[in-house]
Amino acid sequence: MRGIRTFGVMVAGALLVIGSLSAPGFAQQKPIRVGYPMILSGGGALFGQPSLTGAQMLVKEVNDKGGVLGRNLELVVRDSKGTPEEATRVSRELVLKEGVDFLVGGLTSAEGIAISAVAKEQKVIYIAAIPKTTTMTDPGKIHPYVFRAAANSFTEGRSGAVFMAKLPVTKIYTIGPDYEYGQVVSKAFVDWLKKLKPQAQIVGQGWPKLGEQDYTPFITTALAAKPEAVFSTLWGGHFVTFAKQAKPYGFFEKVRVVTAGEGGSPETAMALKDDLPLGLISNSYDVFYFHPVPAHRDYVERLKKFTNQEYANSWASTGYIAMQFLVEAVRKAGSTDTDKVIKALEGLTIDSPIGKQTMRAKDHQATRGQFWGTTAKVPEYPFPIMRPVEYIPADDLMD
Amino acid sequence: MWRLPWGVFALLAAGLLPLAGSRFYLYLGTDIAIMALFAVSLNLLLGYTGLVSFGQAAYFGIGAYTCALLMVRAGIPFIPSLLAGGLLAAAAAFLFGSFCIRLTQIYFAMLTLAFAQIVWAAAFKWNSLTGGDTGLTGVPFPGFLDSPARFYYFTLAVVGISLALLHRVVGSPFGRMLVTIRENPERAEFIGVHVRRYELAAFVIAGFFSGIAGGLFGVFNHSVFPDFSYWTKSAEVLIMTILGGMYTFLGPAVGAGILLSLNMLVTSYTEYWPLVLGLILAALLFLFPDGVMGFLQTRFRRHRHPEARRA
Amino acid sequence: MSLPDPSFLVIQFLSGLTAAMFLFLIASGLSLIFGVLRVLNFAHGSLYMLGAYLTYGVVAWLANTPERFWVAALGGSIGVALIGGIIERTLLRRLYGREALYQLLFTYALVLIISDAVKLLWGTGQLSVSRPPILGGSVPVFDQVFPRYNIFVIVLGPAIALLFWFVLHRTRAGRIIRAAALDREMLGVLGVNVDRLYTAVFIIGAWLAGLGGALVTPVVTIVPGMDVEVIVNAFIVVVIGGLGSFWGALLGALALGQVMSFGILILPRFSLVFVYVLMAVVLVMRPWGLLGKPLRG
Repeated sequence: MRGIRTFGVMVAGALLVIGSLSAPGFAQQKPIRVGYPMILSGGGALFGQPSLTGAQMLVKEVNDKGGVLGRNLELVVRDSKGTPEEATRVSRELVLKEGVDFLVGGLTSAEGIAISAVAKEQKVIYIAAIPKTTTMTDPGKIHPYVFRAAANSFTEGRSGAVFMAKLPVTKIYTIGPDYEYGQVVSKAFVDWLKKLKPQAQIVGQGWPKLGEQDYTPFITTALAAKPEAVFSTLWGGHFVTFAKQAKPYGFFEKVRVVTAGEGGSPETAMALKDDLPLGLISNSYDVFYFHPVPAHRDYVERLKKFTNQEYANSWASTGYIAMQFLVEAVRKAGSTDTDKVIKALEGLTIDSPIGKQTMRAKDHQATRGQFWGTTAKVPEYPFPIMRPVEYIPADDLMD
Repeated sequence: MWRLPWGVFALLAAGLLPLAGSRFYLYLGTDIAIMALFAVSLNLLLGYTGLVSFGQAAYFGIGAYTCALLMVRAGIPFIPSLLAGGLLAAAAAFLFGSFCIRLTQIYFAMLTLAFAQIVWAAAFKWNSLTGGDTGLTGVPFPGFLDSPARFYYFTLAVVGISLALLHRVVGSPFGRMLVTIRENPERAEFIGVHVRRYELAAFVIAGFFSGIAGGLFGVFNHSVFPDFSYWTKSAEVLIMTILGGMYTFLGPAVGAGILLSLNMLVTSYTEYWPLVLGLILAALLFLFPDGVMGFLQTRFRRHRHPEARRA
Repeated sequence: MSLPDPSFLVIQFLSGLTAAMFLFLIASGLSLIFGVLRVLNFAHGSLYMLGAYLTYGVVAWLANTPERFWVAALGGSIGVALIGGIIERTLLRRLYGREALYQLLFTYALVLIISDAVKLLWGTGQLSVSRPPILGGSVPVFDQVFPRYNIFVIVLGPAIALLFWFVLHRTRAGRIIRAAALDREMLGVLGVNVDRLYTAVFIIGAWLAGLGGALVTPVVTIVPGMDVEVIVNAFIVVVIGGLGSFWGALLGALALGQVMSFGILILPRFSLVFVYVLMAVVLVMRPWGLLGKPLRG
């Protein structure tokens, strides 16, 4: 027993010594290092992992073609674990110990805010790949180093309103998780809908807590308010759970549902298969079966090959496009100097796989829209897809 | 009393860290110092009084929010805000503690957890006050501490003073009485000790210092989130305390250092950190029944004291 | 808000019952393990999650077999029971002499390990299992509808409770288990193989958790993170019902299920906080819960 203990102490001690002596990775002159904090474990990993994959694919493509300014790109990845403290910690580690030149990534809004604070503190550019909260780029909160390649919550809510306004309904119920994202998207939806269709009436709002496992009380309450349509901001696994629980109540037959939160994504459809409601109007960051521009077709093929999956993941586009902005900006600036790259990013337009995207100079947000469509069963695939589907640009929906 | 030199040496060594020239290690050091204070404050309850708190993060979070709110919304300088954070946390500890100390063992622990979750939920929902789940942001380093090194020294000073105070507390008759209570609460009652009052006092003192740690952490991170009071934070500090050794004063501080360094190491090598960390934790549990410090103590002690072995 | 339609209230009540039965499955195992082994099994949620993932795995493997869900649920829960048994026998057992905190810490380490094991085996995507065909759709209840699968769950809960009542009160093994919850040392003195008893109880507890996870798959998404989502609710249930009391777990689950179901009607935006308030209130007023026994010493 003594022997084992001694050994254990030695191992523990060795680990600590190795760890503290490991050379702080100063930015080597050759590769351009980009830190990628992202959720890779727990609940958010289902978006985080593919987002990382998209970034990795972009990096590989760029390096295969000779890199940026003659230098290779190198992605340094850390799991942000879904908590803002860890996001802060790893971002600082990435900048100070790993010596990354830029930060790209983040998933939840809280993480985006935390990483943004580190970016400001360390004067390093941060491009948010997924965080949607507008508080990152609101006047008063924004600083020169933060950029957003993702769609923001206003765009999402307003796009939903555009679709809801087209439906022949006036009595609408909203349901969404009771936290910033759900609250902001719902409010953006309601405000924009009132603008587009003043006679629309919100007959009630359901606010399940984030991570609710049992939606049935909310389902029955919603139906009891007798709406003609429902706008939902439940996302990812929460939407899947909701849809499964709502199905036996005939929810989706009784009311038209417009749902934000990427309920129309191929991944949700692949998870639910026959349990996915049809006639659902929803959105997705990307769809592999519809090509808004010719380049998209090639992108999907490359992604399929890169991931060795039959159906290209829609979330990969978040990492891919965020990295694209960075790469193009560095090329345009002709250097990795932060101030020069900031200037290059402002107003930059890139040819992304989903079409032209512009990083607005005034608030450092990309004009990122999403694909919106109606779910339908099709013979080509073993799961429902959105058909018809279109890419809704964000340009007219952003302030 | 032989423990004192350890702590002083560690403090002096820590003071030399900025000379290493790495800003990263300054941030890591600040992080460790803050969590060390948090863990040692918890240990006043855990190791010394025998009260297992599953909800110490409540006071951490209250301290963080109070300090940050006063600084950002009321423009009050850092030091008074920090103290206010500790005091409000102590007040909350008094309120919650009054209910908790009436319970024993697992029920005490559960109630501390319940209160901490209530604090978390309040922070999460009270958008207008706390900023809700997107947090209270824009908390800058105060003007006189506008560099990582300065903030690090300040943290070291605050933590050093706090630890010294706590050390005084545990060495005092009050502290020794806490240990007596831990050993055998009924016997203490029989000899006329108001056990509940002592426990509540310990609860409040622990709450105060947890609040100070929280206040420091909020400014250190430039933002405060409801997560600061979530049960995972309580679990984190509990693990640090137990792993480091809850029967020594500085054990929890050592645990904080080990856990944070380990976390940093493991996450930089693999994305499967839960697996690696879980295995290491389990291994350490089996290898070191008294925590790391406990092990080191029994190892280097000349005379084996029968009560020193806890298992 | 006008007076709610009575059939709506009935549906809310039935929803609360459904939620209660799932809670009961998880919490009863937790309470049983605590009652006999005095271990607060933090990894109970992980066992539940394993049950869900294993069920998914079997359903996927038995691709087009008609009654695959039942096979999967049974297989999944038994699989979790076995895993639980192995963990108890080889690892947890070594910590019995130690402080309760170490055992708790060990179960926390288990949570980490199991969560990554699941990620390694099934990835991070969202997975789903459909309702078994004979339990799809819904039945009319007054002028509303209620899902058939939920009715199955509402009936299964008491069935399992009845099964356990029979085992606990009418068999020798059950008597031993109940005695163990009261006085372990005495049992050892009386010649009962306490080691085997502990393993058996852990296996039963794990089976219940696995079964809960298996049966919940048609109504939730299977994602990483399900382990911790459920454990806090399980804690609340055992606190309300009484730590260590099997029947307390049933009562506590029923109480929590209805509180959650009707709570959203009365205080819609506060569902996050009132479960914890409920927990605190119970602990302050009656710490040993509805059916627990005041801890001695």
